[in-house]
Amino acid sequence: MLEVEGLVAGYASAERILKGVSVHVEPGELVTLVGPNGAGKSTLLKVVSGLVPAREGHVRLGGADVTRQGAAERARAGFAFVMQERNVFGTLTVAENLELAWPGPSRQMAEERARMYGRYPVLAEKRRALARTLSGGQRQILAMAMALMTAPKMLLLDEPTAGLSPKATEELFEVVLGLRDLGLPILMVEQHALEALEVSSRGYVLVSGSNAAEGGGPDLAADPEIRRLFLGG
Amino acid sequence: MTDIIQAVINGVLTGALIAIPAMGLTAIFAVLRYVNFAIGPLATCGAFAAWVLNFRYGWPVLPAMAGSFVTVAAIGLAVEQAALARLRPSGALTVAIASIAVGIILENVLRFSFGNDLRAFDLPLMRDWRFWGLRVGPQQLQTAGIAVAMMAGVFAFLRFTRYGKAMRAVADNPDLARLFRMEPGRIAMATVALGTGLTGVGGALLGLDSAIDPMSGSRLLLPVFAAAVLGGLGSIPGAVAGAILIGIGEELSLLVIPATYRSAIGFLTILLVLSFRPGGLFGERAA
Ligand SMILES: Nc1ncnc2c1ncn2[C@@H]1O[C@H](COP(=O)(O)OP(=O)(O)OP(=O)(O)O)[C@@H](O)[C@H]1O
Ligand SMILES: [Mg+2]
Repeated sequence: MLEVEGLVAGYASAERILKGVSVHVEPGELVTLVGPNGAGKSTLLKVVSGLVPAREGHVRLGGADVTRQGAAERARAGFAFVMQERNVFGTLTVAENLELAWPGPSRQMAEERARMYGRYPVLAEKRRALARTLSGGQRQILAMAMALMTAPKMLLLDEPTAGLSPKATEELFEVVLGLRDLGLPILMVEQHALEALEVSSRGYVLVSGSNAAEGGGPDLAADPEIRRLFLGG
Repeated sequence: MTDIIQAVINGVLTGALIAIPAMGLTAIFAVLRYVNFAIGPLATCGAFAAWVLNFRYGWPVLPAMAGSFVTVAAIGLAVEQAALARLRPSGALTVAIASIAVGIILENVLRFSFGNDLRAFDLPLMRDWRFWGLRVGPQQLQTAGIAVAMMAGVFAFLRFTRYGKAMRAVADNPDLARLFRMEPGRIAMATVALGTGLTGVGGALLGLDSAIDPMSGSRLLLPVFAAAVLGGLGSIPGAVAGAILIGIGEELSLLVIPATYRSAIGFLTILLVLSFRPGGLFGERAA
């Protein structure tokens, strides 16, 4: 579904954050990307979504090369990206956030949004609230719901449980697994590395902008090297 | 007491006029993150556009206002594309300074084309209304009415239309907007058109109220900027509230200080707000 090949990318002030990264996600797969702070995980998702341009390498979605397309165009092609930070429009209401996420004709928007309210009742409760007044867990649910309003072909999640309580983390994992069960391919960066790898079909370890290891999710989670890296042992 | 009430009434009417360009200034800041100091001369362009349409071609007030909006929006877009947009990589300060230069050019083009004479619109003369010792000009009320209608229109546009919401979304977070298929570049241009168009109408309304010359918009710059700063740069409701407060402050100041010092209110406001409350009275985006 998603093929990323030899990506080299960075920022004006640091041109080579990614030094030739390759990952792929097959239809229906949940794939987890882990790595130490500053490894370039967020940068990778930004390049895949089109927010940061690639210097070298390719990004393909469903066989089509989207490497030269901007973020808006890639969103139309079927990518949805839940960023690590600032992933909702804080000065807009919950209802407005969902409305803007809807890509189709406005006639059907209310219906889709009502469906989303049914799925995540907390959003219905808070529909008139400004998004910046939501709690961390509510905000992540809104960000996920916005991504889902676009009926994506491929979902990119950057640390969806960052800063959440254990209970909210649990709930968010349930949401992600539910989407996986519906057949949505997902590439997820997660700080709860071992828990995430346990439930993923495959995983990648990224270290300072390069692929360091890859394999089946549970296999990686059981690997002593990886356990040492992520359990701080 | 009557003096004070009269000053407050005049202040609200003046404030309504200041509010229109202030909304334009603050909208452009919200999306493009620079202060457009060309809005003074752009307001003058709006005044002259409306005057030409009204005085030379006999258009009634409302169509002349619409013509002024379109003309100044076109000038604003041309300036943005030809000059300001190219400087954006060098930072907001560079763009703001360039906008001052653009303003000087516009002002001199107007002076060259129309001369320095005072010009008045072709309007029926109407007697002031008097009641309880107070005085209100029908012309003032009409301009304030147009201003209020425009404010309501802008609010409704931003709050209820999809495009207006997209503008607010881009102002809030351009990267996130791109992830939801919006094109921040295009929306920025629409914001420039809206902001400068409003500025043009503001200048034209000012002209209806008094007379115009190539400097009349520039005299507006200080209270307009003060209003936007007071309300919190980037906040549209803030700009309106700030404009009303500045208008009232200016008129009240006339009771105690000579009229030549009236602009001190704007200066003082900018100084105090930036020193003690840089986010403005209502601003969330403290600088
Ligand atoms: N906008 C930016 N401009 C310049 N450098 C950046 C920018 N964003 C990130 N970086 C740098 O790129 C490197 C990788 O950052 P990135 O956010 O991709 O790491 P990460 O693996 O997601 O880390 P974390 O686990 O902390 O989220 C870091 O050294 C960071 O300082
Ligand atoms: Mg990150």
